[in-house]
Amino acid sequence: MGVAIKTEDLTKTYRTRSGKVNVVDHLNLEVEEGEIFGFLGPNGAGKTTTIKMLLGISYPSEGTAWVLGKEIGDTDVHRRLSYLPEKPYYYEHMTGLEILRFYARLFNIKEPERTKKAEALLEKVNLAGDADKIIAQYSRGMQQRIGLAQSLLNDPVLLFLDEPTAGLDPIAHIEIRDLILKMRDEGKTVFISSHELSDVERICDRVTILNYGKVVSEGRLDTLLKGGRIEITAVNVPKGIEDNLRSDGVIASFHDGRLIIDAPDTIATDGFVDAVRSAGGTIVSIIPRRKRLEDLFIESVGGRRVLTEQTEQSEESV
Amino acid sequence: MGQIFAIAQTTLGEAIRRRVLLIILLIGLAFLIISPSLNQLTPRGQTEVLVKMTLGILKITSAILAVTLTVYLIPNEVERRTIYTILSKPVQRYQFLVGKFLGSVGALAVMIGLMTLVLLVTFSLQQRDASMDDVARIVKSAVMYVFQMSLLAGIAMLFSTIVTPIVNFFMTGMVFVFGTLMNPIFESLGASSGGGLAGLGSRVAHYALPNFTNVDITGGATQAEQAVGGSEAVYMMNGIIYAIIYTSIMLVLAVLIFDRREI
Ligand SMILES: Nc1ncnc2c1ncn2[C@@H]1O[C@H](COP(=O)(O)OP(=O)(O)O)[C@@H](O)[C@H]1O
Ligand SMILES: [Mg+2]
Repeated sequence: MGVAIKTEDLTKTYRTRSGKVNVVDHLNLEVEEGEIFGFLGPNGAGKTTTIKMLLGISYPSEGTAWVLGKEIGDTDVHRRLSYLPEKPYYYEHMTGLEILRFYARLFNIKEPERTKKAEALLEKVNLAGDADKIIAQYSRGMQQRIGLAQSLLNDPVLLFLDEPTAGLDPIAHIEIRDLILKMRDEGKTVFISSHELSDVERICDRVTILNYGKVVSEGRLDTLLKGGRIEITAVNVPKGIEDNLRSDGVIASFHDGRLIIDAPDTIATDGFVDAVRSAGGTIVSIIPRRKRLEDLFIESVGGRRVLTEQTEQSEESV
Repeated sequence: MGQIFAIAQTTLGEAIRRRVLLIILLIGLAFLIISPSLNQLTPRGQTEVLVKMTLGILKITSAILAVTLTVYLIPNEVERRTIYTILSKPVQRYQFLVGKFLGSVGALAVMIGLMTLVLLVTFSLQQRDASMDDVARIVKSAVMYVFQMSLLAGIAMLFSTIVTPIVNFFMTGMVFVFGTLMNPIFESLGASSGGGLAGLGSRVAHYALPNFTNVDITGGATQAEQAVGGSEAVYMMNGIIYAIIYTSIMLVLAVLIFDRREI
């Protein structure tokens, strides 16, 4: 397997009111051919800026990168890749079919292949019935599917999808996820950026988490997300019991007469339940919480869990 | 080449649907339709005055259309992020810019053509004594306007790589007014005052500022013909060549800036 994308100290500096800021800060990435790569990070982390530099739309302030073996700035490589921008718009006066034919012309695809290809892609993204509607009449989800269709016109080996599911309903999420899985089956490399962790991002083979332009975490998503937490709520529990329940990583506190225990999922739940019940308490709920991307961000940047702070505050006030 | 043409065609299709432009066009058409009927109050032999006046309306409307169309051309592409999809295809920035420009020129030509047609129809209906000469004058002037407005659009395009649309609107408007009213003055000053500093300044101003009257036969044609010493056809040809060269320079500068700019 070759390398599809490689960056070397890729940096973008913007001048702002508060001075110079590296919105992408000496980024070193490697994306393998054929993988679905998740480029994750909160809003403003520098994901879009990175993609724009990889596409030669924006110029690096420092460092460089190679895409499909060519150093950035070579538009010839664009024949083999494609890009779905964040919240894209398309010329609203054109129909779905016309838009695809327009983009096909940018690849110098000639008729009759142009129309044939456009129609086949409309079929693929489930828009064949809406081919003659103008884009202004398309829903956000339909526009996103037109976007995916235009990104497949040149049968690319590498796709950049910038926040492909942002602002879409759950059904559209699933449709897009299925299309991405199809692309993987066809052996394409897919580079997905996202600030949330929907099921689309969960199909990534490998992810990198970016914050303030720097990589804060990278690896396989399932490894990174290992270790969720469990929240146990109980009532009728005598005060003071929480002190006995606290141990490594366990937070126990009272809120409005309810005992709330927040513990790592590796800890035996049974022990807590037994302790609460033998003290005369009643369990109201046991809720496992999967680790979320935010938890990862917070861990990665060394922040504290919000719940911990709340607990400490309420304890002081008791 | 295929890419440039595809972008131009799409730009044209979008431009002729833009509401602001259609409103300006309608206002212009309204003026063109009512002005000949106003003239029925004046005595015969005033056709010449009327032709000049309606051509003036045609010119001002075209200029407003040209500026309004082009100042938003690139900023809109960036704002709607349509430019990113296009530039991620095998399309160079110069191809994008030239395509956008040619598309706007096409749209301007369509709109000027439409106004001219309406003007000719109202003329033939209301001014029975209009001669073939008048008709020819209108058509020739309209052709020159297409080139003149392309030049104006090229200037707006260059500015749009540097300043915001609103600032651009005023800058291009100023250049049009100065280039139309002042440049002939600079030209004669530069020619008459010889080697002095004033003369040099005038000559610099004359060459740097576009001279829109060069690309115009509405008013000063006969006078200009004498200056050139040739026929009207030669004068028109010179004007068109001047417009094309000047516009090309504007586009080259725009590309040089746009190529380096963040979008
Ligand atoms: N042209 C620009 N000028 C100044 N700052 C910018 C510009 N473009 C983006 N930024 C800033 O760079 C940071 C990263 O932006 P972006 O790459 O869009 O983040 P993301 O895609 O991860 O949400 C943000 O703080 C944004 O405000
Ligand atoms: Mg972004």
